[in-house]
Formats: sequence, structure tokens, C-alpha cells
Amino acid sequence: MKRHLVTFLAFCLAITAGPQDTFLIRDVTLHPVSGPDIPLTSVFVEDGIVADVGPKLAVPKGTKVVDGKGLHLYPGMIDSATTLGMAEIGAVRETTDVAELGDFNPQLRALVAVNPSSEHLPVARANGITSAIALPSGGIIAGQAGLMHLDGWTWEDMDIKRSAAMHLRFPTISLQADESMGRRGADTPASFSEGKRRYDETLQKLRIFFEDARRYQKAKAAGGAGFTVDRKLEAMLPVLEGKQPVMVTAGRKRAIADALDFAKRENLKIILAGCREFTPELLKEIKARGVPVILPETLALPLDEDDPYDALFTIPSQLHREGILFAFATFDSSAVRNLPYQAAAAVPFGLEREDALKAVTLNAAKIWGVEDRVGSVDKGKWADLVLADGDLLETKTQIKQMWMRGRSVDLSTRHTKLADKYASRPD
Amino acid sequence: MRRSLCLMLGAVAALSAPAADLVIQNAKILTVTKGRLDGAIHIRDGRIVEVAPKILVPAGAEVLDAAGMYVMPGIVDCHSHIASESINEGSVSVSSMVGIEDVVDPDDISIYRALAGGVTTANILHGSANAIGGKCQVLKMRWGKDAAGLKFAGAKPGIKFALGENPKRRGQQAAFGATTLRYPATRMGVEDVIREAFLDAKRYQAEWKSYRARPAGRVAPRRDLKLEALVDVLEGQRLVHAHCYRADEILMLIRLADEQGFKIKTFQHVLEGYKVAKEIAAHGGGASTFSDWWAYKVEAYDATPYNAAIMHKRGVLVSLNSDSGELMRHLNNEAAKAVKYGRVSEDDALAMVTINAARQMEIDARIGSIEPGKDADLALFDGHPLSNYAKVQKVFIDGQLYFDRQKDLAQRAERSTRRKVLLEKQKKPQDDPGRRGPGRRAE
Amino acid sequence: MRISMIAATLAAAALCSAAGPALPVIAIRNATVHTASGPVLEKSTVVVRNGLIEAVGPSVTAPADAWVLEAPSLHVYPGLTDAMSSWGLPAATPPAAGPGAATAPPPPARGPEDRPSNSSWVRAQDLVNPSDRTVTAARNAGFTTAAVFPTAGIFAGQGALVNLAGEKAGQMTVATPLGQYLSLSPRGFTSFPGSLMGVVAYVRQVYLDADAYRAEKAAYAANPRGARRPAYDRALEGVLESPRLLLPAVWAKELVRMTELAAEFKRPTILYGAHDAARVAPYLAKSGAAVLVSLKWPERARDPDPEADEALRILELRENAPAAPAALAKAGVKFAFYAGGVERPADLRAAVKKAIDAGLDREAAVRALTLSAAEIYGVADHTGSIEPGKIANLTITDGALFQTSTKIKFVLIDGVKYEPAPEAPARQQQEEKR
Repeated sequence: MKRHLVTFLAFCLAITAGPQDTFLIRDVTLHPVSGPDIPLTSVFVEDGIVADVGPKLAVPKGTKVVDGKGLHLYPGMIDSATTLGMAEIGAVRETTDVAELGDFNPQLRALVAVNPSSEHLPVARANGITSAIALPSGGIIAGQAGLMHLDGWTWEDMDIKRSAAMHLRFPTISLQADESMGRRGADTPASFSEGKRRYDETLQKLRIFFEDARRYQKAKAAGGAGFTVDRKLEAMLPVLEGKQPVMVTAGRKRAIADALDFAKRENLKIILAGCREFTPELLKEIKARGVPVILPETLALPLDEDDPYDALFTIPSQLHREGILFAFATFDSSAVRNLPYQAAAAVPFGLEREDALKAVTLNAAKIWGVEDRVGSVDKGKWADLVLADGDLLETKTQIKQMWMRGRSVDLSTRHTKLADKYASRPD
Repeated sequence: MRRSLCLMLGAVAALSAPAADLVIQNAKILTVTKGRLDGAIHIRDGRIVEVAPKILVPAGAEVLDAAGMYVMPGIVDCHSHIASESINEGSVSVSSMVGIEDVVDPDDISIYRALAGGVTTANILHGSANAIGGKCQVLKMRWGKDAAGLKFAGAKPGIKFALGENPKRRGQQAAFGATTLRYPATRMGVEDVIREAFLDAKRYQAEWKSYRARPAGRVAPRRDLKLEALVDVLEGQRLVHAHCYRADEILMLIRLADEQGFKIKTFQHVLEGYKVAKEIAAHGGGASTFSDWWAYKVEAYDATPYNAAIMHKRGVLVSLNSDSGELMRHLNNEAAKAVKYGRVSEDDALAMVTINAARQMEIDARIGSIEPGKDADLALFDGHPLSNYAKVQKVFIDGQLYFDRQKDLAQRAERSTRRKVLLEKQKKPQDDPGRRGPGRRAE
Repeated sequence: MRISMIAATLAAAALCSAAGPALPVIAIRNATVHTASGPVLEKSTVVVRNGLIEAVGPSVTAPADAWVLEAPSLHVYPGLTDAMSSWGLPAATPPAAGPGAATAPPPPARGPEDRPSNSSWVRAQDLVNPSDRTVTAARNAGFTTAAVFPTAGIFAGQGALVNLAGEKAGQMTVATPLGQYLSLSPRGFTSFPGSLMGVVAYVRQVYLDADAYRAEKAAYAANPRGARRPAYDRALEGVLESPRLLLPAVWAKELVRMTELAAEFKRPTILYGAHDAARVAPYLAKSGAAVLVSLKWPERARDPDPEADEALRILELRENAPAAPAALAKAGVKFAFYAGGVERPADLRAAVKKAIDAGLDREAAVRALTLSAAEIYGVADHTGSIEPGKIANLTITDGALFQTSTKIKFVLIDGVKYEPAPEAPARQQQEEKR
């Protein structure tokens, strides 16, 4: 049998996989995401990989069976921007490693600062989130975002793609107090002209940095005697070669337009992120250029006083109608567990449920270039699975069991432990 | 009722003139106190007069067919800071002389946004920069009315207290441009400040008592607004809403209140309330907490989303609040978290954003459930309000329609045209040339 | 009332000294006279003697001893009055930072008892500098008179009505004290009051304290023996001396808020700003408050972000502010104009014209710049209109006051003629030059 061969090969390759990573989930409602829902089917996981899906599967004798009757099986969710493991307690700066000093730090890698013991990881995991982008966010080029699994003894264990994207925090002209992605401080410019002048200066610095990187690229290729390694510029090479996308955060329409201009000029492969405001023209351009978008929380206030109360609720459906590939992100650590609700919030405002689900699973995987491994329940993909008693995007739903690469995940958290401890306090 | 003015220029406010009789038909009614009932609600003069499977429509009554809709009581938020032009009198450790009542902002768009999330009543609290903060104000979200029209007439007054990190911050660092440190710097000092303030208040109370007993020939004592608010507390005329996090400080305040002879009406945030739920219940205090916020500061690190459920099971009156103009817009979803974390029943979960919050403000005789005799404050959803897929379609306050999604959608074009007209008129010549717009090329 | 009697006495004293040496008798003949208190009189003569208006009317003849000014195309108005200003007052300067001063900032106030931001006892007439450049500027703009107020702090001090000419401040003073000027600016987060509600609570406590202080002092005065004397409190003295209070209120919500607050104090109240007054004009009429409308109409910021979406309510305020005076007039609210920082004569005329274009009757506009201020401050019996016996403050123009082409020909202040400097170029042109 072909399946046995696959099993054998998988056993040889995945030495971390053990017999506990092989099991059958029976009689479950499967939401593969890549295709329509399948009621009452079974999923066979072999050595951490989804090996087969179907109503009646022949499995080796003695295979562990999980009864999925009345339950729903989903792929694990992906949060496309977080500070998980990088920020433990918001107000205590000693516990945060998110923003480095300096404007240009492409050599920094978020993953090396992810604390695998962070209490935020199990908390996020327990609600069905299996992977997340760890995002550095200081200066202009903040460093490399890494895609990680939310379980592992070390960050190396967790690593899915350690240089998933270069994070460029696009400069903005902001005279407003609440520009979400702007860097407003005490030095907010007093007039538009002043703000524009500073913006132009910053943009010029950014252009020069890219020019320097290109010169460096040529010098390196030429291999002259005087060539010396510059770690910052070296880190830009995958970006220039189109091997690493640039994740550009830009909140408002002007910044998004400017970011698109910049990307075109510099011929960059970009992912827009943190966008909260679009115009029809922008949507068309984003679609035409095939730029994917990472959306920040749906449940957010309108940017301006007169905006419709549901301005942010309707953005996902606008993107979907335009045919733009998008995914959701929390840009947070403690609130990652609410990622599915951010997706759900777009549903009453025009997004279909299955598209909301895609935006926290398969579409995120596509954007990060890992759809061969995660994002849907399909043969050959990692068994990142979530077994729930209902709709994954509904708050009331309980997660019953989870697996990451077929390994069963502990659903207990700091929160369940504290609750258990004090619930047992005598009356 | 006090005089109130309609300040809106647009036609947003009070979408319908109050019909004497209104019957909402064919609704799935979540009464909160008496379970679910499929049928009709009869409203007369802004009050609910009948809730029944079938209601005979009186002649001349307005009828609303709510087929497919869920009706729940208007959502009540026990902790909000919207619609106020200032939040914190952060200068002093006891700021009970100040009050939100003086600075209500009827122009704050947050009122309308809250309304669009089904909120009809909110407790607007002073901030947490001081051990004893300012006075609170209960508002109904009557968007379009002036400050007096927003105020919940007859609601018992309240006051904010605050324990823990916030009130001691200025004792530990000269923040916000201060040149001196402010007492207290520790939780010990917070207790000391509150005790001292109440001892002062008692002296003041005695002074007035003595004067009132024998006023003839004496000059009245000086009125002290700071101490008057605390005398109100001692006399049970002002509800204490105390911001707190850690179990130790919660217990401290309970013991201090017992010692000084007053009650804590609600513990706010109270993220470690689950650790001392027994003591809170014994004090008779309520708890108004977040569904699942945690880790934003040290005292929020022992939070657990099971907090509400544990306290509820131990007999504490629990509400879920927003403390945020955004979160306020979907407190119904926050209630669903009490079902998720701790399996609170759906009715009890909805109670946490309606009747329980109303009880914590002592306005439950008026609002918080769908029962005859109560104000017709209702939120109509197009799905079950505990579902993330439901949204608010209509909101009534006192039987008047204050939010209607269809009308909101219909008015958008008109408002946007008006904006354009005014912007064009007010443009100055120097605004025009050489500015970049979205999508314009850099060159 | 005792306070107003003092005011009247002081005003009378000021007039006597202003009389000084004999002044020429002036007759302005054949002019269009806008009396403010009555109808417009065509082809009329105004006679001024000894600093006072002696006679006015079409049948009045110029006395033999008069200096006759033929004015067939001129318009005579009561002297324009800026109902709230700081013309002639020194710009508020921070206390000199001598050695050591920088290291010892004032300690943060711990509550209302520390009387923060309070100089209620300061009187404007004691600060007036007759040679201040702004006195001339005001006159050039056609103003003969101004209600001037100290403006620093929450309880800034007491205003005075001053004529905008004189060698000594004492000669300029027409009436004092007019009232207590309040602003509502918090002192910053760390010193009381650090918020708007803190300011409101502070103001409320001060008025309560003032009443208690008065009672305590009265009781002590009646029977000092055996009682502890009340401590002198200059902040409360200043409040008690002030016959009325002036509170800032631009938006409708502020007009309502301040009206309600003032009602607690049971003192005559003037609200200033008032750009959003159209929305609450009937309410204001009922409350009986007087209103000062700033002629500095709200405008778009000078260098705005072209993409910043200004709120519709701000756009509407800008659109509707000039209609506030007409609405107030219609509702029967007593109101007057103040320049609010508009200095150039052309800008002032343009500002008033906006109100007229928005529905304000022309003569009502004249009153809002003349008689109304006098009425609001309770001095209309001796100034504010062209009537025999009143102070000879007149503004004479070469056309109807609010036409853009109109120029100020001269003003009479206490019967003395002043000619304005040539008008400064309009703001627009100046900007272009820059």
C-alpha cells in the first residue's frame, strides 16, 4: 500500500515524531478550509502529518482513535502579526523586547527574542491559534518577522520560517493624536508643511538606505578586493532579490498610497499591514498589483469622528469583494486568543463565514508562503488541528483538543491553573 | 424630568416621535430575568406595560414587526469614560470635590457608537489617579439631547475610588511634569489616605450635625465639597465604585469600609476578585470586571477570564464592563466569554451586561430586564446577541427609537455631501496648491 | 447695592477729573446720527460740550462758541465699545526668573483652599497703561471704549470700563469693577485643579467659601468680642467685590453648562465666546444671562492637513457662528460684541458684516457694539448711546459702519477728537508680502 510507504518515509525523516503522533479522529465534522465542509468524516494523522481523510478509513491495528462525534475539526489558526513571546507585561519595559533603537535594523530577527516560556503562548494556543508571526516594531526598518509555532522547548523548535518578512514601518505625516500606526510623540509637527518636510526627509533616508543596499549588492557580486561585509545591508539582500517580502505597516490612506508608490519605485514584493482606511482607487491598485493585506483588529473605532460607526467592521468585506488576499492579525500578545472573534466581527458586515475563517487559516498561510504545510486540513500537510464543540469563530465554542504536527497540545494555561486553584478554595 | 434640549442639527436624534403606544411583534424576547419568550412587547409612554406571547394591538398604536429579531434589554455598562470632557482630576489623592456631572459632553460621538452597539445606559466614572477620585454620573445614551437630557434622572450618585498601582504612581515617580512626589507611594499609604479622608468626613459630619441641631445665633460651618461627597458615602447616599486589582487591596478596602461604616457597591476591574470572592460576597459588594483583559501591567498578571464565573458561583453580583469606547460597542460578545470561560448560563451571562450592572448602580427597578413597569430600553439584534455574527438593528430608549441601522445607512450620503459643501466653502486659497493626495504619485 | 454705588461714585470721580481744563465745544452738523437708543436721525447735529453730549437732533443748531464740523456725508455712531478686551493692559508676563527662581517653582496646589490660579483682587484699572500701543490701535479701529479685564489664571481679576484716551489711567476709567473674569484652564495634571471638572469644582467651592466668608465676617463685625477673627482672604475679597462674573462658553453645551453653574452662585452672569449660541438662544433668553459674542469667528487652521477629516460639527460651527448674533437678537438675549483679538479695522468691519449677512439687523449690530455693552455692565445711564447728558464718546465714519469701503474719520473720546492713523493694509495683502 502506498500509504505504508509514505509512513515509512515519514518515520525516517521526522525523527521527532513518535507513535503518539499517529491517530484517527473519527466521525467528525471537518472544516478543511481548502474545500467545503465535510460532515461525519474521519481524519487519519500519521507521524504528525494528515495522511488521509474520508468517511471509512482503514488504519493500522492499534491506532489510537479520537471520537469526534458532534465535534468540529479545523486547521489551527494563524495570527499574522503578534508580539507573542516578545512582550510579557505591557507596562513593564524589562519584559518587552519589541522595539529596538535606531531607524534601520534589517539584521534583527524577532524569533531570537521569543521567550518560549511566555505565559501568553499557552493562552493564545488554548483558543485554537497554532502559529503566529512574531513582529519587531521599532524605527523604520524594524527587523525580520518570523513565523512560529506556538509550542516548543526553544524558539528553534517553534521556528516555521524565521525570516518570513522584513518589517518596514512606513513613515507618515501625522498631525493627529490618534494615528494608530504613526510615530506621534511630543514632537508632533505644528503644521502640515512642517510634517511634510519631516516626512520627506525620512523618506529620503529610506530611499538612500535602499540605494546603499543595491550598491552593496553590486559590490558583493563584483567581488572586488575592497568589499567588506556590512551586516545591515547584507540583511537587505533577500529583500532586493525578491526572496523575502517586505511587510509594510501603513495605517491610513495616504500612508498606504505612499507605501505602494515606494514599493513600485523600489520594485519590492510587499505585504501591506495594519491598514485601516481604503479608497476605491487604493483597493483597485492593491488588487491589480496582487499585494496581500494583513488587517489589524476589526473591532476598532472609526478613525474620524464622522466616519460610519462600522467603518472598520466593513473593511474585510470590501477587500474580499475586490478579490484581495487578506489575513487578520491582532498586533498584540495578550489578545491573540481573540483572533477568531476579530474575523467573526466582519461577518455581520458582509464577509462570508468561510472567508472569515480562511483569513485566519489558509489565506494567512498563503501570504506567508507556507500553505504547503499549514492553513488547511489536507493530505500531506502538518496535523495542526483544532477539535471544537462548535463554530471556531464563535466565542461560546469550547476547544476540546488540539494537535500541533500531530502532537497533542496541553490546553491548560496560567488562567486555567489560577482558576482551578482558587475555585478549590474552601468556602 | 429636568429641562432638556435637543442640540442636534441633523435629524439623528430621537428618530421617532414617541408614539403613546408601541407594540413590538414577533420577537424572540430575551427578558434576562424571566428567560426567553417569543411574542410581543407593549410599550406605553416610554415604559414596558406588557410582555406576552400575543398582545392585542391597541387602536392607534405603532407596530414594529421584529420577525427574526432578538430583543434584549438595552446593554448597561458599569464602567465607562465616554461623554465626559475630563476624566481624571489627577492632582490630589482625594478629589471627591469634582464630578463628571459637571463636564458631561453631549457632542461625544462615542455616545452614538455605544448606542449602535446596543448600550442604553452607562456609568461614567472618574479616572483612577487617586485613592478617592471624583463623582460618577449615570447616563442614558439619548444621543442628540443635551447634558441634562443624557443624565439618568433619579439614579443614585456614585464616586470612584482607586487602589493599587495607579493611585500610588505619583508617589513613586514625579510623572506628568511634576516636581514633587505625592503621597501615597504604597498600598499601605492608599489605605491610610482613605482612612484619613473618612475620619475628616466624620468630623465634618459631626460639625454640621451639631449646627443643624442648634443653628440659632451661629454661623453655618463652611461647606466643603470634598467632604460632603464622603459624608454622602457614610450616609449610604452615594455608591462607591472602587478600582482595584489585587486580592490584598480588595480585602483591605473591605475591612476599611467595615471599620468606617460604609459599603463598597462595586469593585471595578477586580481581576483578582476570584481569589477573595468569599469576602466580596460577604461584604455584599458587586464586581464589575473585564471579560478577559490581562497582562497589561503587573497587577493584571494574575488575571483569569474565569474570574467572572468564579465570583458569580460564589454569590458575588458580577457585571462585565468595557472601560473603553470600543469594547463598549460589543459587550454582548463580552458576555459570551462568561459562557466560554466557566460555563455561566446564557441568561446569567446576559445579566452580566444588563440587570447586574443596573443593580450595581441601583437602577434595576427602572432598567436591565424586559419586564412590565420598566423603561422601554431595548436592543434589537438580527441574531442571538451572544453570537459574534449578530449585529444591532434598532435601539430604543424610553420607548423612543435612538438607533436604526437602516436610517443610519440612509443618512450617510447626506452627511457626506454636507461635509463636502462646507469644506469647499471654508477652504482658503492657500490650502490648494501643491498638496499630495492619496494615490498621487510622488513625482 | 453697595458695590454698584461705589462703582457709580468712582465713575463720577473719574469724569470730574477727566473734565480737567475747558474743552472745545464741538458741533457735528448735517450728519446721519445713529443714536443706538432711538431711531437713526438724518441731517442732524450733535453738540458736545465739556466732554458730554449736550444736544442731538435735526433741529438742533450749533452754538455760537462751537467748533463746527460740517458732515453732510458722515455717519455718527456712539463710541464703539469692545465689550471684553485687554486693550491697554500689559501682556501677561511670567514672573521674572531670577537666580534661584528657576529652582523653586510654586508648589502644586493641594485643593481649592490653596486658591490656585487666583488673582481675583486684581483690578484692571490699576493695570491700564495709557501709552500702551494697543490703546492707539483700538482707537484706530474706531473703538472709544473698552471693558478691559485681566485674563491670567482661573480667577483672573476684575474688569473696568475705560475710555481709550487719556494721560492717566485714572482719567480713562469710566466704571469699575465690572465683574470677575474667569477662565477654565486647568493648571496641568499635577497641580489642583488639573482638569476641567476640577476647575468647575474649584470655582464652585470658591463661591461657597465667599458666601461663608461674608457671613463669618458679618457675624464677627456684629460681635467681635470672644470670637476668633476670620482670616483675611484676598481671593474671596476679590470675588465679593465683583458685581458679576464672566464665564467662557463657546459651544452650546458650554453655554448650557456655564448657565447652570452660574445659577448656583446667584450672581449676574455674562457668558463670553458664544459662537454656538444659535442652538440654545431661547434657552439663554429664559435664563436671563447676558452674552458677549466674539468677533473672531472660527476659521480653518492656517496650514491644515489636507486629508485630516475635520468633524462636521466643527465645520457647522464655522458655518453657523456668524448667525449666532441674529439668533440671540431674535430670542431677546442681551448681547454685545467683543473684538476677541481682531485688531485691524477692516477685519473688524468684515466680521460684523458677516453677522449682518447672517441675518442680524444693522442697528442691532450697532447696538451690539455700543449701547448693549453699557447695558450689560449697568452703565447705560451715562454712556453707550447718543443722548444728551451722556459721555461724549462718538465714532464718525465716512459711510455706513459695516460697509467694506467705509473708513473711520475720527473719534471723540470724552469730547476730545482723535484722528486715526491710516488703516493698515488688510491681512491678506500682508501675508502675500511675507
